[in-house]
Amino acid sequence: MYFNNLKIKLSGIKTIILCLLFLNILSISCIFSSLHQGGEFIGKTLLIKQIIWITISWIFLIFFTFINYRVYSNFAYIIYFANIFLLLGVLIFGKTVMGAQRWISLFGFTFQPSELSKLSIIILLSHIFSLKGQKNFLNSFVFPIILTVLNALLIFKQPDLGTSLILIFLFLGIGLFSKTNKMYFIGLIILGLIISPFALNSLKDYQKKRLTVFLNPNIDPLGSGYTIIQSKIAIGSGKLIGKGFLAGTQNQFNFLPERHTDFIVTIIAEEWGFIGIIFLLWIYWLILKKILSKASKLRDQFAYYLCLGISFLFFSHIFINIGMTLGILPVVGLPLIFLSYGGTNLLLNSISMGIFFNICRTQR
Amino acid sequence: MRKFNRYKKNYELNFSLGLLQKLYLLGFIILIGVLFNYQIVKGNYYSKRAKNNYVRVIPLRSMRGTIFDRNNIALAYDKAVFNISVIPYQIRNKKEELFNQLSEFLNYDLKLINKNYKKNTLSLFSPVNIIINIDKLSALRLKERFKDIILITTQPQRYYPYPYQSAHILGYVKEATSFYDKLKKYGYNPLERVGFFGVEQYYDAYLRGNDGGNLIEVDAKGRIVGFLGERIPLKGKNVHLTIDNRIQQIAKDSMGDKKGAIIFMDSDSGELLALFSYPSFDSNAFITGKNTGKFLTDKNCPLINRAIQSTYPIGSIFKPIISISALEEKKITSSTTFNCTGKLTLGSTKFGCWSVHHDENLYEALAHSCNVYFYKVGLILGQKTISKWSKKFKLDSLTGIDLPYEKKGLSPNANWKQKKLKKSWYTGDTVNLSIGQGYMLATPLEATVAINAIANNGYFVIPSILKGVEQVNSSLSSRTYSGISEKNINIVKQGMRMTVSTKTGTANMLKPLNLNIAGKTGTAQTRGKSHGWFIGFFPYKEPKYTICVFLENGGSSHEALNVVYNFLNSLKSQNLLEK
Repeated sequence: MYFNNLKIKLSGIKTIILCLLFLNILSISCIFSSLHQGGEFIGKTLLIKQIIWITISWIFLIFFTFINYRVYSNFAYIIYFANIFLLLGVLIFGKTVMGAQRWISLFGFTFQPSELSKLSIIILLSHIFSLKGQKNFLNSFVFPIILTVLNALLIFKQPDLGTSLILIFLFLGIGLFSKTNKMYFIGLIILGLIISPFALNSLKDYQKKRLTVFLNPNIDPLGSGYTIIQSKIAIGSGKLIGKGFLAGTQNQFNFLPERHTDFIVTIIAEEWGFIGIIFLLWIYWLILKKILSKASKLRDQFAYYLCLGISFLFFSHIFINIGMTLGILPVVGLPLIFLSYGGTNLLLNSISMGIFFNICRTQR
Repeated sequence: MRKFNRYKKNYELNFSLGLLQKLYLLGFIILIGVLFNYQIVKGNYYSKRAKNNYVRVIPLRSMRGTIFDRNNIALAYDKAVFNISVIPYQIRNKKEELFNQLSEFLNYDLKLINKNYKKNTLSLFSPVNIIINIDKLSALRLKERFKDIILITTQPQRYYPYPYQSAHILGYVKEATSFYDKLKKYGYNPLERVGFFGVEQYYDAYLRGNDGGNLIEVDAKGRIVGFLGERIPLKGKNVHLTIDNRIQQIAKDSMGDKKGAIIFMDSDSGELLALFSYPSFDSNAFITGKNTGKFLTDKNCPLINRAIQSTYPIGSIFKPIISISALEEKKITSSTTFNCTGKLTLGSTKFGCWSVHHDENLYEALAHSCNVYFYKVGLILGQKTISKWSKKFKLDSLTGIDLPYEKKGLSPNANWKQKKLKKSWYTGDTVNLSIGQGYMLATPLEATVAINAIANNGYFVIPSILKGVEQVNSSLSSRTYSGISEKNINIVKQGMRMTVSTKTGTANMLKPLNLNIAGKTGTAQTRGKSHGWFIGFFPYKEPKYTICVFLENGGSSHEALNVVYNFLNSLKSQNLLEK
C-alpha cells in the first residue's frame, strides 16, 4: 500500500510544525519588509506569490506525509534517471540554440531539475547504502559515486555550482555515516583537495570571479564584493536587539540587490539583531535535532539514511547560505531553507519534511 | 548520546549520529561566533557606517560591439550621447520644482522627464537619467545653471546609419528592464542594453559589452568624499556579416514601394549578400523611443521580415522540384511529352493553364511554365511522393539561418489534411499541389534554399549571415548532399535556362543582361492579388549567385521580373558581380 492510514497523530511532530509555521511567518515578514524602499511599499506581487507558494507547499507536505516512504526505495532508480533525463533535456535543448536566443527559449527550465536532484540523490544514496548483502568497494562506493558525479556534472554544466557542490556534499555526508569503509571517503576528500586547483580552471568566468572575490572582496567592489560589503554593514548595524520591524535602513535603501532571496538573513539580522538571529538558529537547531533523534531510533536502514540525508541537506543550506552572507564562504547562490523567496526550493524542502513526517508516523 | 552509539554498534556504522549532531552544533557555533563579532563587537562601527552609508555605484556603461558588413562598413555602432541625471535622495524635497525648471530651460517635455525618472530609478542613491540625448552645449549650460544638483553623464547609444535598409537583419537594442526576470540569470543589469530581433538578438552574447562603474562614497549632501574602486567597462565584440551593404542598398532601391523580399545568396556557401524585406522600419526609432507607434500599428506589418518570418504559396517555383522528383522516381524522362489543351478536366472541375501549349516536353514545359504538363506529372506521382520530395527539399523545415524567429513552411499530405482540416484528400488537391498551390506554403528563404540545391548540383546549403567575430572567421557555411543524380539536375537546369534563353520563355526579359541566368517564374494565386515570384541563379553552369525576388500581392511574376532586372542591372553596372 502506498498510502498509510489517514489518521493524523501530531504528537511526534508538533514541535516541527510549530517551527515551520514560525519560519513561514518570518519569511512573509522579511519579504514584506524587502518590498519597502525609502519607507514606501513598492509592490505586493512578490508577497502574494510567496503566500501562494507557502500554501501550496503545505498541501504538498501533507500529501507526502501520507505516502509510505518505502515507495521511494522501490522507485529510487526511476526517480534518479527521470531526473537525469530532465537535466539532459535542458542541456541538449540549450545547445541547439545559439548565442543569445538561449535565454528566451530556455527560461524556466534550468532551475527545476537541479532542485529536484537534491532529493533524488538522497533517495538513491539511501537506497544503495541500505541494501543488504556484501559491501565491497565497487557496489558501495564506486557505483554510488559515479551516479552522484554524473548528476552533479549535468548541473554544473547549466551552470549551477552551488547545487552541484551540495550533491557531492550529500554523497560524502551520507557515505561517511554509512557502513562503507570510511577510508574510501577520506581518501576521496584528500584526492579532491589535490585536484581542486585543476578543477578551478574549468569554472565559468563569473564563478571564478566569485571565488576570487570571496578571497578578497576589495578586488571587485562593484560586483559580488559590493554585495558582501553591504551585507556585512546591514548585519553589523543590527547590533544586539535590531532596529525593529520595517526599520532596517540598509535593506530598504536598496543597497542589497538579492535581499529577498539569497540574502534574506540580512533583513532578519538588521531588523531583529543578534537576538533575532540566535532565535532563528535555535529554530533550525530544533528541526535538525528532531530529525537526528528520530533517525537514531529507527530500525529501518532506508529510513535512517533518508533522515540523515534530509538533515544534511537542511544543514548544508543553512550553513552555506548564512556563511556566504557573512562573507566566510563564497557566494554560490543557495537559498535559505523555508525563508528565501522562491517556490521550487520551498516546495522541495516541504516535500522532504513530508517524507520525514511519514517516517515518524510509520516507524514508532 | 548513548542512544546514538547503540545504533552505531548494531549496524556497524562508521560514526554515530551523535557525532553528526556535534558537527551541526559546531557549524552553528561558528556562525554565531562570526555574527557576534559583527553585531556585538563591531556593532557600533557598522552602525556608524550604515548611517553614513552613501557608498554609491556610478555605472559606466560599456560599448556594444559594432556590426560590420563584409566590406567593413559599419551597419550599427555606438555613439556617445549626453544625458542629465539626478540622484533621487538629493532632490527628494524639490523634485517637482527642479523638473519644471529643467523642462522650461530646455524646452523638454515635462511628461517625458517624469516618465524617465520613474522608469530609470533603481535606488535612492543611484543617478537617474531624466533627460536623454541632448547636445553638449545645452548640457554645459545646464550644468552652469543647476550646479551640483544635476549630473552630466555620457552614455553610448546605438545608431544605425542605414535605417530602413537593413532593419530586419540588424534588429535593435532595448533596455533589459522589461525582460529583467528572464535576463537576470545571465548577469544582465536592468538598464543594460539587450538585442531584440535580428543579429542584435541572435549574436547578443558576442555584441554585449561588460558594464563597469565607479564606487564612490558621498556625504549626506551628495558630495563625493571618497573613491573606493573602479571597474573599467569592456567593449563587446565586433561582428562581421556576410551582407554587402552596397547590394543591400540596390535591393532596397530596386524594390521601390512594393511589398516583398529580395534574397541574394552565394550559391556555393549559402552566405547571404543581401536580405531585404519591405515595408521596413527605422531601428533608430526604437532606440530613441520616438515615433515607434507607426511601425507597431501599421497593418502592413513592417516589423515582419518577409524573407524568413512569413509563409506563402510558392506557385510555379515548385515546378523544378516536381520535375526532379519525377525524374528521380523514373516516372518521366526529359523527352516525355504531354499535350496541353489549356485545361485539365477532373470530374466536373476544370484546372486551367495560362495558355494553350499543345505538345511539350519537360524542357519546354519548364520554360513556358505549363500547368497542364505538371498537373499530369503530379497525378502520376501522387500526393505521397510529392510530399516526400517537398520534405526532401526542406520546404517544411527551418533553413537554420542565424536570425531569430524564423518560420517554417508546410508540405501538406493526406494525413495532415485529415488531422488539421478533418477532410479527406481529393485528387484535385494533388493537382493543385503539383503546381505549388493549394495548402503548400514556404518562406521565400526556404524556396530559395530548395532551388539553390538544384543550382548547386544537389548540395543543400544552410544560409548564413555571420562572417566573423572580431578578426576570427566564424563562417557557418556547410553543405549536405541530397543524393540527386547529376544527370537529372542538368536536365532541370537546362529547362530553367530555357526560361530565360528562349524567346517564348517566361523570363526572357532577363536575357539582355547577358548573365547566363537560369530560373523559374511564379505567379501564386492567393486571396487578393497574386504573389509574384522569381528564383534563379547564374552563370547557370556553375552558379555563383542565387537570387530570389518575392512580391507579396505583386500581381504577377512579370512585376517580380522587373525588380530582378533592375536589381541585377544595377549590380552589373556597379561591377559588384566580380568576386
